[in-house]
Amino acid sequence: MSKNIWSKMAEVDRRVLYWVMFIALAIPFISPIGLPVPVTETTKAVYDKVETLGPKNIALFSIAGGVSAWPEIAPSMVAVMRHLVKREVKIVVWGFFVDQDITLDMILTNVPELKTKYKYGEDWVYMGYIAGAETAVAQLASDVHAVFKADKYGTTIDKLPLMQRVKTAKDIDLVLTVDTGSYILYYIRHWNVGKGVPVAEIGIAMQADMIVYYPVNLVGVMIGVRGGAEYEKLIGRLADGTVRMDAINVSHILFIIAIVLANIGFIMVRRMKK
Amino acid sequence: MSNVLRRREIILFITGIVGGLNLFEYFFAVKEVAAVASTIRTWVVVISAFALGLGIITAFRVHISHVKRRTKGQWPFSIWLMGFFVLLTLIGLWNPKFIVYDWTFKNVYVALSTTLYAITGFYIFSAAYRAFRARNIEAAILIISGVLILLRNAPIGEAIWTGFPILGEWVLMKGQVGGMRTLTFVAAVGLVAFGIRTLLGMERGYYGGE
Repeated sequence: MSKNIWSKMAEVDRRVLYWVMFIALAIPFISPIGLPVPVTETTKAVYDKVETLGPKNIALFSIAGGVSAWPEIAPSMVAVMRHLVKREVKIVVWGFFVDQDITLDMILTNVPELKTKYKYGEDWVYMGYIAGAETAVAQLASDVHAVFKADKYGTTIDKLPLMQRVKTAKDIDLVLTVDTGSYILYYIRHWNVGKGVPVAEIGIAMQADMIVYYPVNLVGVMIGVRGGAEYEKLIGRLADGTVRMDAINVSHILFIIAIVLANIGFIMVRRMKK
Repeated sequence: MSNVLRRREIILFITGIVGGLNLFEYFFAVKEVAAVASTIRTWVVVISAFALGLGIITAFRVHISHVKRRTKGQWPFSIWLMGFFVLLTLIGLWNPKFIVYDWTFKNVYVALSTTLYAITGFYIFSAAYRAFRARNIEAAILIISGVLILLRNAPIGEAIWTGFPILGEWVLMKGQVGGMRTLTFVAAVGLVAFGIRTLLGMERGYYGGE
């Protein structure tokens, strides 16, 4: 009998696991937990860097993540954009994902100041999609105008006052790369190491260790949902990231419980076999 | 003519010139070389854009073949894919602000994309349950490190015990760094060797050689 219990514990059907996860994730949306989110150094570093910028500075907001990653990175994108707008920093947006227009639409919906407070062409511009991956990043570092002849909406680059100030990487004061893959490495190689431009990352949780490998090259890294929640706390405007942290808490605890139970079952079964 | 263009020497020559110029430009500040390298990189951006079109043609070839062969469990989806592609392309070319076009992207594409991404969480949950077994000391260390990282990432770890984030931070910032940095360096050296072999024409896979 006892053997059955242990082996069952070690081999729970995956459908049961899926249901447990689904129900557990639903609970905090019905009854929020609302645990405090301590701010990590890597997120604080990004915030501090943006705090040093002002109306005379230009930030590059590079979208290198698809809409599929919104559950993780949308809160960070919105929070950082809100901060940039609050600091009145000039913003250049471009990207490397074919669905980035939808991402920008989402940001514009959540940060309406970009439409009301900011003047397009002077305070911010959207240059659109660029193919070419690392080569494109390298080329943009040395000659932006060679890559872009017009913005996303067809306005030629010479008619965009902000783009008259942006010719090479050296005209940018901070790169914020929204990243689900390798673009952070491209920016480090060609913008930071090559041109000395500060680079920060808005990344998925999997990229948490980037800052460990490139502590000199990266200003900071905002890690997944937590990075967004932390940034919301720093700018004093709690939003989606803070809400989603409940799901992170529940799912992580569930992972640990499942791993512990599986191992208890596994060890007991092995002992009994001996 | 096409046989001449396919000659191995021409491909190697182009690779050598393009790679060599860009390498030289990266490490040495020579204005003339920089100008040529810059032009070449702009060409790459343009060629990459054409690759998108090539991708569409390839996708259509694959799916037309599925429909022709009536591949079981696939061909109806191939028709859906091609039908939607043509429909959305035509609407997009006609009027990208058309409500159906906009609605489809915002309410179908986004919902499906984010759902697929979120579903990986369920798979990872199931995989972690099955794979994280303390079969030996090394596996046990891996499990403990993984649990500490989980407790570091979620604020609930700190709520349970304030030491969890500190231990998790140590694993992330110190414990695993030595090994991973070694792997990164080794991979980088390997990549440099691969690059040199490519420039010297010793790697042939990239142009379809053996």
